[in-house]
Amino acid sequence: MAEVRYEAASRIYPGTDEPAVDRLNLDIADGELLVLVGPSGSGKSTALRMLAGLETVNKGSIHINDVDVTLKPPQDRDIAMVFQNYALYPSMTVGENMGFALKQQGIPKEERTKQVLEAAKILDLEPYLDRKPKNLSGGQRQRVAMGRAIVRSPQVFLMDEPLSNLDAKLRVQTRTELADLQARLGVTTVYVTHDQVEALTMGHRVAVLNFGVLQQVDTPAVLYSRPKNRFVAGFIGSPAMNLIDVDVSGDSGLKIGDLPVPLSPEVDAALNAMAPGKYTVGMRPEHLKFATEGIPGEVSVVEDLGSESFVHVTVDHQNESRTIEVRAEGETTIKRGDTVHIAFNGPAHLFGPDGERVGD
Amino acid sequence: MALFTRAPKAEPILGQNRAVANVLSFITWIIGLAFFFPLFWLTVNGFKEESVASADPTLIFDPTLDRFTEVTESNAGLLSFTEAFANSFWIVLTSTALVMLLAVPAAYALSIRPMRMWRDVLFFFISTKFLPIVGAIMPLWIIARDLDLLGTRTILIVLYTAMNLPLAVWMLRSFFAEVPKELIEAAQIDGCSLMGQIRQVLLPIVAPGVAATALLCVIFAWNEFFLAVQLNPTGASTIPVWVNSQQKFQGQFIASLSAASVLATFPVVIAGWVAQKRMIRGLAMGAIK
Amino acid sequence: MSNAVIDNEVESKQESHEAEVKRLEKLEGWKRRIPILPALIFTILVTQIPFLFTLFYSLTDWRIDKTDPRQFIGLENYTSLTSESEKFFRDAAWVSVQMTVLAVLLSLIVGTMLAILLDRKFFGQGFVRTLLITPFLVMPVVAGLMWKTQMFNSSFGLLNWALNGLGLDSIEYATRYPLASVIVVLVWQWSPFMMLIVLAGLQGQDQSVLEAARVDGATTFGIFRQITFPQLRPFLELGTLLGAIYLIQVYDHIEVIVGGQPGANNLPFYIAQRSIGGGNRFGLASSYSIIVVIASIIIANIGLRVLSGLLEDDS
Repeated sequence: MAEVRYEAASRIYPGTDEPAVDRLNLDIADGELLVLVGPSGSGKSTALRMLAGLETVNKGSIHINDVDVTLKPPQDRDIAMVFQNYALYPSMTVGENMGFALKQQGIPKEERTKQVLEAAKILDLEPYLDRKPKNLSGGQRQRVAMGRAIVRSPQVFLMDEPLSNLDAKLRVQTRTELADLQARLGVTTVYVTHDQVEALTMGHRVAVLNFGVLQQVDTPAVLYSRPKNRFVAGFIGSPAMNLIDVDVSGDSGLKIGDLPVPLSPEVDAALNAMAPGKYTVGMRPEHLKFATEGIPGEVSVVEDLGSESFVHVTVDHQNESRTIEVRAEGETTIKRGDTVHIAFNGPAHLFGPDGERVGD
Repeated sequence: MALFTRAPKAEPILGQNRAVANVLSFITWIIGLAFFFPLFWLTVNGFKEESVASADPTLIFDPTLDRFTEVTESNAGLLSFTEAFANSFWIVLTSTALVMLLAVPAAYALSIRPMRMWRDVLFFFISTKFLPIVGAIMPLWIIARDLDLLGTRTILIVLYTAMNLPLAVWMLRSFFAEVPKELIEAAQIDGCSLMGQIRQVLLPIVAPGVAATALLCVIFAWNEFFLAVQLNPTGASTIPVWVNSQQKFQGQFIASLSAASVLATFPVVIAGWVAQKRMIRGLAMGAIK
Repeated sequence: MSNAVIDNEVESKQESHEAEVKRLEKLEGWKRRIPILPALIFTILVTQIPFLFTLFYSLTDWRIDKTDPRQFIGLENYTSLTSESEKFFRDAAWVSVQMTVLAVLLSLIVGTMLAILLDRKFFGQGFVRTLLITPFLVMPVVAGLMWKTQMFNSSFGLLNWALNGLGLDSIEYATRYPLASVIVVLVWQWSPFMMLIVLAGLQGQDQSVLEAARVDGATTFGIFRQITFPQLRPFLELGTLLGAIYLIQVYDHIEVIVGGQPGANNLPFYIAQRSIGGGNRFGLASSYSIIVVIASIIIANIGLRVLSGLLEDDS
């Protein structure tokens, strides 16, 4: 039960100039499940390992429950970590794996067995307590890794892509179980993933990182509806938001093809106050529709998922060919090669030449 | 995960169809027997009468254990077999144990939490084997004499430890380097001390590699002749010295010499036979890195 | 409070934090060195003291038989090595090179072939493997004696018995072909060692890669050449390195099999002859030893640079 705070924490690998994590400021509330998400190399795992004490914090500090742990070794931080590859001790049984940390603390065998059993019950691991990791399936090993963390009753759970080695179906199932478990136990959890769908479904709040810099930290809803910059807009949401660059100069206004882009009043006002240049318009596929009039284009791919379809349309915009993805209701009759017209179904997002959100 | 599954048996490189496979098996058997033949012949000769051994080679004869009893009898002025065996046993056991005790932490410092100049340190260890023992024997002999260690078990224990340490450090380091970093990190987070990490997490995983290394040390220490004969010709002599003295004494007595040779090599051969599977697994685990 | 003061506070806190980080890193550096210190100190004491003595002797003209006291002569021993008087040294050096290179190469080839033959499932595989390992386990002295008296010997030796059976004359191998005889025994003893290493490499192969190659239509030999062999390289290199380190120092075999014949004197044996074996020229012999060390260091350095990933840093 603890709050976690990163204060301008940086990690610079020796021999490099660019920080892997650049002055990260993050406040995580007690009992919160905060997800660190970002593409490969974004620094999310590094940031997690800094909290674990496995990476040196070159600048800034990290606090757990208002205690500065920046210079403390991992074993003194009262944290538990679930590794991507589970890192189970191959020569020990499941029970011994789970009880290992307790053994290091000097807790007597009886008490250890009791605590291990409790955690095993929560995770349905009782029948496997005497097995060795090599005799377990991937999903079972994942649960043992979780069990090992739970048994410790730490202040913070750290999870480094714990689900990425599971097959797709198991991953979805385990995801909800994990979120449920965390809510029940109420332990502050920092969770790293590269899968933004996982991030949005699990996190109370999500922190998006890119090249070591925190882009935005908000609830999934806000991240989705109000991305702070171009990167977040394109990263969050599946399928990805359509991002079209528009050269805004003079009187031509904001248009895609020949269709003017609808903006909310504040954004419009903000745009008028800004200089001309290269702006980016963002439209989610579900905020576009097919109409009799609009941006003309030819259908290149139709992804029919049954309940909905995603139609890729090639359009001409500012003398270049672009692809726009439009969401259509299920069982569509549109096929490859059709000529269609795309219209807007709501106000668009707008990002300035610096990539930042324009407007609110 | 590589640690949990044995590598699947590699598909045979040669020959898929039955006939070819059988021919290859046959050839392998022939080669195996041929390779072993000199030792087989040696053993056979040990059971012969001298006259039989010196005559035309034959496999038909009346076997006898006389040669074996002859060479193991204590002869005045000659080394005793039982003494030499006891000396070899203790010297090899102690030096190998010492080697492992020193090499395990050393390997840790060169792989898991490597010190900054680990490559140079590793090269230093290897380079200690570049000096020919024959060249360094004078200073060694003088130092041993001055320390009153000539003809003792101690001097050979110390020297054999130094002799095998580079090999052990090299091999153990490569085995340790195979262990996934996350396991050590998990152990750290679980509050494990350095000794605990080595004992409870590391060693169980690299056990086959440790066995392979220990076996190699035993082989090299048991079979070492030059230092033993120079420093311990009479006191605390080892089996290699004993077998060599048999040659000097028995000269052209083939059967006796054979019997003595069999007795001398027998322990390490048995050890090697028993541990060979582990040796291969150990080497497969990561001898290359 | 003015901004400047706040900034100063933050900055000094930063600085002391950074200083603390540096201090901890230094401490960490020392903590990492501690586990290796016992082995390192032990090795330095036991190996470097004799080495320094040898180095010192190599700079003197120490002879046990003369009554003059040992004199410091600087690099004279070394410079004499190119002169006529040291022809035998150069011969011995050449023998060493031949012996090491041939023994290592042949053991590697034989060992690899054996490993390939053994890397299959067949009846009695374990037994045959046991048979093949045994030569490596045998005492060099015994191996030497055994081959000398029972295989090579012109009166009792088996090889000659076979030759006689074919109507050919006996050959006293050890005297006619001393170098070859020694190399035969060395290869016999070290092929199993190479075999074990290569076997380990073969067993680590990825099954699916081999299967993919078969599907792509590669021949058996082609698979070996293009897929297996490149993968075996690190193992072959390890075998070469370890084999060379031990085979350069071969002594027992030479004493026992050919005992001093010029054709098969390698450097260690020649060093022994010149010093403790009656030559009594300890100063000179020491210089030989130092030459061996220097040559080995140079070769090993080159070798290690060429060898793939033998000293990879995995951390």
